[in-house]
Amino acid sequence: MNGGGALPGDLERGVIAAGEEPVVEVAPRRPPLTPNEWIRRNLFSSWFNGVLTIVSGALVLFIGFRLLRFVFVSADWTVLKANLRVYMVGRFPQEDIWRVWAVAFFLAMLVGVSRGVLLPPSRTRRGAYVRAVVAVVAVGALVYLVESLLVWLLLAIAAALFAGGVAAGRRLGRRLVRPILIAWLLAFPVVVVLLSFGDVGADRWGGMLLNVIVAVAVIALSFPIGILLGLGRRSSLPAVSWFCVGFIELIRGVPLLTLLIFGRFVLILLLPPGLTFAQLVRAILMFTLFSSAYVAEILRGGLQGVPEGQYEAARALGLSTTRTMALVALPQALRSTIPPMIGHFISVFKDTSLLAALSFSDLLFTARRASQSFEFVGHQAEALLPAAFLFWVIAFSISRWSQRVETRLGVGER
Amino acid sequence: MAAAANRARPPLWRNVRFLRILGQAIFVLLLVIVAREAVLNLGFGVERQNLDLSFDFLRQRAGFAIKEGIAYSPNESFFRAFLVGVANTIRVALVGIALATVLGLVMGVARLSTNWLVRRIGQVYVEIVRNTPVLVQIIFWYVAVILALPVIEGGLSLWDLAFVSNRGTAVAWFRLEEGAGAWSLFLLAGAAVGALVVRRRTKINERTGRLTPRVAWAAGAFLVVAGVGFLLTGTPVAGDVPEVGRFGYTGGVQVSPEYTALLLGLVIYTGAFIAEIVRGSIQAVPRGQKEAAEALGLTARQQLRLVVLPQALRIAIPPLNSQYLNLTKNSSLALAIGYPEIVSVSNTIINQAARATQMLLLVMATYLLMSLTISAVMNALNRAVTRRGQA
Repeated sequence: MNGGGALPGDLERGVIAAGEEPVVEVAPRRPPLTPNEWIRRNLFSSWFNGVLTIVSGALVLFIGFRLLRFVFVSADWTVLKANLRVYMVGRFPQEDIWRVWAVAFFLAMLVGVSRGVLLPPSRTRRGAYVRAVVAVVAVGALVYLVESLLVWLLLAIAAALFAGGVAAGRRLGRRLVRPILIAWLLAFPVVVVLLSFGDVGADRWGGMLLNVIVAVAVIALSFPIGILLGLGRRSSLPAVSWFCVGFIELIRGVPLLTLLIFGRFVLILLLPPGLTFAQLVRAILMFTLFSSAYVAEILRGGLQGVPEGQYEAARALGLSTTRTMALVALPQALRSTIPPMIGHFISVFKDTSLLAALSFSDLLFTARRASQSFEFVGHQAEALLPAAFLFWVIAFSISRWSQRVETRLGVGER
Repeated sequence: MAAAANRARPPLWRNVRFLRILGQAIFVLLLVIVAREAVLNLGFGVERQNLDLSFDFLRQRAGFAIKEGIAYSPNESFFRAFLVGVANTIRVALVGIALATVLGLVMGVARLSTNWLVRRIGQVYVEIVRNTPVLVQIIFWYVAVILALPVIEGGLSLWDLAFVSNRGTAVAWFRLEEGAGAWSLFLLAGAAVGALVVRRRTKINERTGRLTPRVAWAAGAFLVVAGVGFLLTGTPVAGDVPEVGRFGYTGGVQVSPEYTALLLGLVIYTGAFIAEIVRGSIQAVPRGQKEAAEALGLTARQQLRLVVLPQALRIAIPPLNSQYLNLTKNSSLALAIGYPEIVSVSNTIINQAARATQMLLLVMATYLLMSLTISAVMNALNRAVTRRGQA
């Protein structure tokens, strides 16, 4: 979690750099292994490894066979087909569905441009294979699931916007970084306004839409609050730091679910009588408190990693404590905490599934209700697996993309 | 302070000491205002809605049944019901921690294997499990796997020792009979003898420089003492094999479908994180350590056991601690499948007694206490491990 595993490599590198002999002898590159050699070396290097390969290979074949048979033969995916819309947007009114599409277009373009700017085109053959397989599977699934021509058209537009965004991002490159940042900052209000102006209240949001909105809201709110908490924890004023330590440890010591229950039953009692929030807003509030405690802890790790010399140098330049923090320590700390921060944001997204435990109609809740419906009895797995898969796809792709962006920017290097 | 008075004092608004005190005073004042507002509102609610903020209700009759856990009847108090929940949380957390550690260890080592296939299996496991919400997994196991199992009479059986069906799981276990108390004394004696043997063998090892399997010696000594005691006290322990009845199992250790699903979900989810910790901490041991061990002529197993693993353990303990805490806290997700642990029992109590404020205070305090306990144990372990390395 705290990803501090990079030490030994750095140490070794340091030793080499300080060595007496700058000349490094480089061995000639090994010729690539023949398939036979590869198999012998990687699968049958000893009798133990051979047995291991055979046993685990049999296991993989068995599970793979069962899985494929389930997906293509024995499973009945009508439960997904019938509920696809509910999985995605819940009970969002049909006549207002264009708002969701508008949001989808907006996000597709924004994600496309960001990707184009941040990631170089991957030219490896493996990347191409993986993308081809993903595309085939996705199109195949859509052919099965989507019958409406209009939806196909809209999906095509979204895909085109994404591709166009990638192309534009690649062409314009770094010049777009600032506009993209501003667009992302504006994204959340734009999305909320798009989804809710007029008469579609937050109670009509559901399905994956709800998970995504709540996750984005919580991330956007908890990041600044978490930074304040983290700085407060380091404060030299004992009243401030004790309060922050107490708050952070309290929040981290109890399960998120109890906080959400607190938000549901108790929070309302502590607020002035006239001030009431919708259930969803209270849940988002509690999610935010929870998440900001973790952001604060991550930031603390980052601040500890800023070398003492940086503070001393800032002081020597005559910067005040506040400026030292804002101009010297915080930027470095934030940069080094990008990987754990993204990991935390992914887990915020995963945690939004707890909405289901409080009976908000999020993706998981919808899937569970579909699994209980009378028509689809005996097909619980088919109802739940798509929800799990959607959560997985989003979390997994964010983590993959962030890894690539991190190596590109050399986040862990400095 | 008299010396300070001699110097020209800075004006008040530039006096750091004054500013610090002022800043804290303002901060505390703000906190007090917010807290006062909250308490006043709560008091207002007490007046208007007849809220009751005392903990007296805990002594009232609970009136609802709890399916599993320590002995309890609906006629007992709310507090007793809450204790059942605490016991159930501990039951799932301890077993979960043990199993998740084993699974994580296996998968973490698999990810470092020289065998390509095994490495890939570990990777796929971690990437799938880690990126799916744990609640989704728990509900999947419960709804789509456990409840979809055959009914009890057609349930699965493993050599008639373990049974699985949608009624839950039953596993053969042991039953204590007469003489168990006396036998436990023999067990203690056996442990003492084992410890003595280890010490003696260590001395011999150090004197002669030849390695003998100390642990095997100790285990042998323990088994001999325990076996003699077993015969002398007249077979105090008997096997307890579950039997399939019409409505449930009898005998053996039985767990409900809810417990099985929760445990599966928690163990598989936490196992993936522990696997990453295991892999990361073994990789974090500097390569020079292993090379030095090799240069000293240690075998591959000795390198791992004596050089790499002790150092990896030291790196792994703090993140392991946080995973154990996560597992314990995630057990609260049982609310979604109705396993009666702390949160789900408390939720029932809140619905019945309408004392949400007190119940949540109690629940949070309990979790904090459990977190502190686990952290204390892990810190003690951490100290023991680090000290041993430095001696």
